[in-house]
Amino acid sequence: MNYTVRDQAGVREVELRGQLTFEANDAFRQIIDGMEKDGIVECVLNLGGLDFIDSAGLGLLVLANNAGNRVSVQLKMKHPRGQVRDMIEISEFHTIIPCEF
Amino acid sequence: MSSDRTAAAAAPDAARAVGGQRVLIAHPRPPALAVLRAALSTIGVRAMDVAQDTDTLLAMVAQGAPDLLVLHLGILTDGLDLLARLRALPGMRDAPILVLGRFAGAGERLALMKAGATDLIPRPVTRPELAARLRVHLENRALNRSLQAVIGSLQTYHTGAVQRMTLARDMQLDLLPTLAECGGLERRYAIRLDSHFESSSELGGDIWGARALDDHRFAVFLCDFTGHGVAAALNTFRLHALLTKIALPGDDPAETLAAINGLLVGLLPETQFATMIYAVIDVRAGTVVYATAGAPKPIIGRPDGGLEVGASVGLPLGVSPKASYRNRAMAFPPGSFLFLFSDALFEARDWEGQIFGYQGVVDLVSGLDEDADLEGGPLRQLLERYFTSMPRPLADDLTALWISRRPDPPGDPD
Repeated sequence: MNYTVRDQAGVREVELRGQLTFEANDAFRQIIDGMEKDGIVECVLNLGGLDFIDSAGLGLLVLANNAGNRVSVQLKMKHPRGQVRDMIEISEFHTIIPCEF
Repeated sequence: MSSDRTAAAAAPDAARAVGGQRVLIAHPRPPALAVLRAALSTIGVRAMDVAQDTDTLLAMVAQGAPDLLVLHLGILTDGLDLLARLRALPGMRDAPILVLGRFAGAGERLALMKAGATDLIPRPVTRPELAARLRVHLENRALNRSLQAVIGSLQTYHTGAVQRMTLARDMQLDLLPTLAECGGLERRYAIRLDSHFESSSELGGDIWGARALDDHRFAVFLCDFTGHGVAAALNTFRLHALLTKIALPGDDPAETLAAINGLLVGLLPETQFATMIYAVIDVRAGTVVYATAGAPKPIIGRPDGGLEVGASVGLPLGVSPKASYRNRAMAFPPGSFLFLFSDALFEARDWEGQIFGYQGVVDLVSGLDEDADLEGGPLRQLLERYFTSMPRPLADDLTALWISRRPDPPGDPD
């Protein structure tokens, strides 16, 4: 997985690309570190470029959401597609992290 | 436990410095040893023993192999077979044996090496050169010893780890229903119940179970904890203990999942959770009622050969205390089957790295032979075909359950 970060008026958009699995652990933890330190109020994960997520990837989303709750950064997701959308719907992750489909 | 401690204690002994090593010198004329003694003192060797003849030499080596044995050529006048006899003594197979002397020529040097000498030191030799050569052999000896101690300790650890893993794996398999228990359910409810449980390593994060509820209903579940290996396996033991010790509303899948979720929230670490499907099959009503917590969609086969993919929506277990679950009911008349499986089945990658995909599972099920029942069962046929294109071992734990209801006997008026 790789990603790009864009900040605008306290809102960070992180565009994820590739596969969100255990191998993405290090990169994803950098994103979480940034959420905690960079003084933003909202972080939107753009999943449009993500083509696969597994349960380890869902675990990373839980981790990011819990970190966001601790430092009062609202985490959101948007535009999941294909298998990623299926996984989010099956696991109802949009009920814990707001998701724009 | 005790074997680990023994292995760890071996290391400091093996790592002794050159100065702490024991050197044995065999020389027919000990007064001529001054240069050798001085050279050994220079490099810090304090433990020096001297043997003046072969019998004393063999007796001293037999009492304990030295770290370095220096033989004066004069001790070998009775023949080179002394070298072979020394090599045969305990601890001497790899010990350095140096021969010091004035050699007659290349032939004699070669014969000494073939007979078992590690190296030859031709005289005349200066004290610094002698010291340098002795040091090289003592350092090699110390390195070899510590390497052997490390290898020995790794072997001990590995043997112990394999034994512990085997025991743990047996314990994990004991969590699953036995063949006799499955047979009991098969007879009581006129079903066929096939299962497959395959961990990606010694231990896995999957668990399944089945139990009778009453004369016409039984429950079956499949649960998959995130990750695999030891940590995930520990969670399966947690769940098994919870399921056996706590009274659950076992005939209501949604309430059962909510109750288990309530127990697992706070018990599991932050990034760990479980997906689970819990189904109640009623052979009198001809229905299956199930609820899912992030589990893969179940596949139901109809008596007419049609397939239906059941819906699946629900938060995985252990993520949120507020999670609630929904029951879904589907017709399950005689001749139907229910296929449940963990995500490893469709998330696995083939030799080219392509993900198998959920649709691949649906295609595999619809392509099964109608008489698969006769060929060891539909699940066996499905997995045989699956593994012709999928490499083992899988990256994740695979559990699959296939429950089919026997068709009504033909011509039965009921």
